[in-house]
Amino acid sequence: MKDLPSINWTGFGTLVRSEIERFLRIATQTLIAPWITALLYVFIFGSVVGSKIEEIEGVRYVDFALPGILMLSLVTTAFAQSSTSLYFRRFAKHIEELLVAPIANGTLIAAFLLGAIVRGIIVAIGVLCVAVLFGAANFEHLFLFLFYIVGVGSIFGLLGIVVGLWAKGFEQLNVLTVFVITPLLFLGGVFYSITMLPPVMQTAILFNPLFYFVDGIRYSMIGVAEGNLILGAALIIGLNLALFGWVWYLFRVGYGIRS
Amino acid sequence: MSRPPETTPALIISHVSKRYRDGTRAVDDISLAVPAGVFFGFLGPNGAGKTTTISCATGISYASEGAIKVFGHDVMRQYKQARRRVGLSPQEFNVDIFAKVEKILEYSGGYYGMTRAHNAERREALLEQFALTKYAHTPFMQLSGGYKRRVMLARALMHDPDLLILDEPTAGVDVELRHELWAYLEDLNRAGKTIILTSHYIEEVERLCSHVAMIAGGKIVADGPLAEFTNDGKTLESAYLAITGKKQPDTSPTPATA
Repeated sequence: MKDLPSINWTGFGTLVRSEIERFLRIATQTLIAPWITALLYVFIFGSVVGSKIEEIEGVRYVDFALPGILMLSLVTTAFAQSSTSLYFRRFAKHIEELLVAPIANGTLIAAFLLGAIVRGIIVAIGVLCVAVLFGAANFEHLFLFLFYIVGVGSIFGLLGIVVGLWAKGFEQLNVLTVFVITPLLFLGGVFYSITMLPPVMQTAILFNPLFYFVDGIRYSMIGVAEGNLILGAALIIGLNLALFGWVWYLFRVGYGIRS
Repeated sequence: MSRPPETTPALIISHVSKRYRDGTRAVDDISLAVPAGVFFGFLGPNGAGKTTTISCATGISYASEGAIKVFGHDVMRQYKQARRRVGLSPQEFNVDIFAKVEKILEYSGGYYGMTRAHNAERREALLEQFALTKYAHTPFMQLSGGYKRRVMLARALMHDPDLLILDEPTAGVDVELRHELWAYLEDLNRAGKTIILTSHYIEEVERLCSHVAMIAGGKIVADGPLAEFTNDGKTLESAYLAITGKKQPDTSPTPATA
């Protein structure tokens, strides 16, 4: 065998491929379920309820709600991918085949993260296809849209890695989703404009980081923003750097993976 | 084809200790050298520290103190060079049980940086060697115990390591397969691979190994060529029981009671 390069690209590519093949193996659960959920959201909130609601910020309700639904699907999918994959590898002990291989911690993290982002993007594409059926897929700023998809998918992929390392049982995998992510997303303006809220809530929502993610992707799709886009972008970059540093430290000390 | 003899020891363990977070000291200041090219038996009772030592040498665990070198490469500082020369077949089946046999081998080769062509060639050869070809597309969980063990060995050999560490490789394997594996391992050793074997079947170690180390209570209690343990007509088993402080069971006929 030839000397390995400083970055084991083949090892990286293999792990990314194994992550993708794993979620494709159980596509009903990993892809089709979030698409059906998104379809129901778009149909019920976009068409059924939305037809009774006047325009918000000058756009149809279905157009306003779609970016939030897209973000909801992306966030939960990216988080689920990295957390369940890592936890299952720990549970079945086949994380050990990675620990004995000549792959650096940073490479392992990047591969798990890319797996989460890829699954998030595939789900997002499916949601956009659903949106096309309802004539609701717009892109005002395509590159900004890609920045938000990759940046936010990465944040929740990294958070999933932390939870995948920390969880001692399957039940704990859902703790962050149920008690933190979902409430913050729903309170972050997924289905409504913050101008519909009482003044106190309008101020409180500005402290919810997920509001900036929903707001940013909405701006990239329909050109409507309610928050500070610069602050949102800085938050995405800052959180990615901080979480990557944290995950790298956890891998370095072997937290949850090396006894 | 035989390889040129390696002069650097395959494995050097220097004053290694491993403490777990709960304060348990699994191994305590152990030192051991495994010369290149030998078939090395590593014996000890359950919980003695064998698997912990192997885990520290392969990267599954980090030693709390001391240093470990594989063919001269420090397993912490030069982990890439060290790990690519080691193949591990662990006691437990640590694989994705839903994955197909061929995929398990393919991924393993990929993790070690093997090119696609080399990976395919090696995979095919090992599937044939271990009579796994017809199970190539069978999920691991559907295999019998003996075939699962074959997959573990094939995976350990995928990247053609110079040091093969086998932790209870014949546990749960029938007699025919055990003999088949012994012959294969002897061939590998003759071809120049260093093999470290832990086993509860002491006759297996006695038949295969040229060097033996014994660990008990987290400390190395004996280490040397097999002949040193089996001189004076003793068996390795009796030496093992004497050294590890276990009593040999009394096998003499029970006198009839009146």
